[in-house]
Amino acid sequence: MFDYFLQQLIFALAIGAIYGLIALGYTMVYGVMRLINFAHGEFFMLGPYIYTFLFSGLLGLGGLAPVLDSAIAIVASFVIVGLLGVAIERFAYRPLRAYGRLAPMLSALGMSIVLQSAVRVTVGPQPVHFPAIVESTPIDALGGMVTTVQLGILAAAVLLMVGLALFVNGTRLGIWIRAASESWTTSSLLGIRVNRAVSLVFFIGPGLGAMAGIMYASYYGIMQPTMGSVIGLKAFTAAILGGIGSIPGAMLGGFLLGAIEVFGTAFLPILSFGYIGTEYRDVFAFAVLILVLLFKPAGLLGETVSEETTVAKKDY
Amino acid sequence: MNRTRILLSAATLLFASGAMPVLADDVVLGGSAPMSGAQAEFGQSQIDGAQLYFDQLNEKGGIKGNKVVFRPLDDRADPRQGTLVAQQFCDDSAVIGVIGHMNSGVTMPALDIYSECGMPQVVPATNPELMRMGFKTVVRPVANDFVQGALPAKYVTGKLGLKNAVLVHDKTVFGQGISGVFKDNFEAGGGKVSGTYGTNPEDVDFSALIASIKLENPDVVYMGAGMPQLALFLKQMREQGLKAQFIGPDIGFTVDFITQVGAASAEGALMTFQLPPYDSSPELKDFSDRHQARFGRAPGPYASLGFANAQVMAAAVEKAESLDREGVLAQLHGVTVDTLLGPVAFDENGENTTAPMYLYVVKDGKFELIKQ
Repeated sequence: MFDYFLQQLIFALAIGAIYGLIALGYTMVYGVMRLINFAHGEFFMLGPYIYTFLFSGLLGLGGLAPVLDSAIAIVASFVIVGLLGVAIERFAYRPLRAYGRLAPMLSALGMSIVLQSAVRVTVGPQPVHFPAIVESTPIDALGGMVTTVQLGILAAAVLLMVGLALFVNGTRLGIWIRAASESWTTSSLLGIRVNRAVSLVFFIGPGLGAMAGIMYASYYGIMQPTMGSVIGLKAFTAAILGGIGSIPGAMLGGFLLGAIEVFGTAFLPILSFGYIGTEYRDVFAFAVLILVLLFKPAGLLGETVSEETTVAKKDY
Repeated sequence: MNRTRILLSAATLLFASGAMPVLADDVVLGGSAPMSGAQAEFGQSQIDGAQLYFDQLNEKGGIKGNKVVFRPLDDRADPRQGTLVAQQFCDDSAVIGVIGHMNSGVTMPALDIYSECGMPQVVPATNPELMRMGFKTVVRPVANDFVQGALPAKYVTGKLGLKNAVLVHDKTVFGQGISGVFKDNFEAGGGKVSGTYGTNPEDVDFSALIASIKLENPDVVYMGAGMPQLALFLKQMREQGLKAQFIGPDIGFTVDFITQVGAASAEGALMTFQLPPYDSSPELKDFSDRHQARFGRAPGPYASLGFANAQVMAAAVEKAESLDREGVLAQLHGVTVDTLLGPVAFDENGENTTAPMYLYVVKDGKFELIKQ
């Protein structure tokens, strides 16, 4: 039974890391803008598509080792998707700032449809095979089994999360972001360029989403235009679970949601003597969302700092 | 390729809305299948196959000297769109027969509409229920899911001697239905089903489920689900080292399945399909060549079925005393044809009495027919 538990824990960590990375995008944008960016799942979907495009382009040029090609394509996907995020904020959300909260949110929904349909029309609606970046070799670990892809995902995700934490807490640019998420008015009075902070958040969030997308696609071996919808919703749940607006909360929420899902699937049929089957996995995950919203609306690590933020949260 | 598909379907929509002149004595037949969306490859192949037969017929002078006009409409594998298409065919009095739809879920709600306007219908969908709902306007030349679920169950219990199975299905009408049929036949063959697991139709992560299936230590895993779920499941199953025999239904019979699983992991997987391979008979080889010449590409998965369905429909029109819906309908059930896929005759439900089913195994990255 311990082997079984350990094995499931490995699955939970791998999928949780991906949820966490996407949740970071939701939570950072919400922290700074009080906006739920519904287009975020599409940045996740764009990641693997742009990566594949760049990677096959670089391979076609030849001259470099495939490992190097792959590394360049990964970094470039981060930058391209990040810049796209900045552009979308500039042209689809910023002009609507004066019109309350609902308008940018609807604009985000529209953006999501635009991006998804654009990929569907240009590349095609069918799922496409995504070649693994790292060859998937199983390694025995304490009776469980872990693949190199899972290890790679976990390592990369933790690296990105630590990097982000250092960036936000230890650099000048990080101070912008933290200041802007506390109060726009006060920050701008103190000489912080709030719009820069917003652009920065819209660069990092989608970039991280794209990274998560690449990990996800190489984990499962496929990509499709609709892949961002369900996973986006799950990551959003993770962000709420951890406390929306809180960066460590998003990471915690991601891992927690991964664990709830995986252990739900693994142990529900056993605990309920077969009455509740594995198909209740999503029911379980979203039931947790409802419970959190009912009993701890600020989430596990959510801040209940100032009057302003609490009032703002009630708007949703 | 997809852009052409979209252009094509846009063009057919234009044509259907009246841009194409129809002479008074043309025989107009409708066809419908998903021509866009994830299942377009399957749907378009049926339409192409039917088109090929009608072209051939017209070269020989049509039916009783009348030119056959084939009108394909896209149902996007969506039941709502399917009922709209059905209404459109019904409202056009020139249309005297319809071949469609491909999906059982699309066909079911549309049956009512077709039967209301007395439209003779040749159905390519495979759910057993479709022919047991009491509609008198339909026939089905293709084998239903009773046959599809039974064949692999008999094969693994009889030929391979495997007795311990686990079923996984996606809770859809199709997936749940077909794994039920497999279960009945597997148990009848002396096997034991040690577990049935449901998933959500859109799931991509089966790792937790597979880890618990491993505890049952099955030697057969039957999965009633769609694509890409079939491929994802098998891939993750092999990654976890679960060596059981994998069996899937017709939806997995595509090259995508093998590329998405990876040739090495897909090796040995069994898949049922209603049609023989295109190199299995001189007629089919000839069909494949003509398809290549007409459309510039090899026939898709359901092309030969589209061709055979067109043959059945044309035979009923040929025998009809008057070239209208009543005339064709009167002949539809009694028609006997020697089609590309073998002889077709219908029982009282409109099911083909001798519909074949084929079992394929993945070998060296290709589907290979298992000779019975």
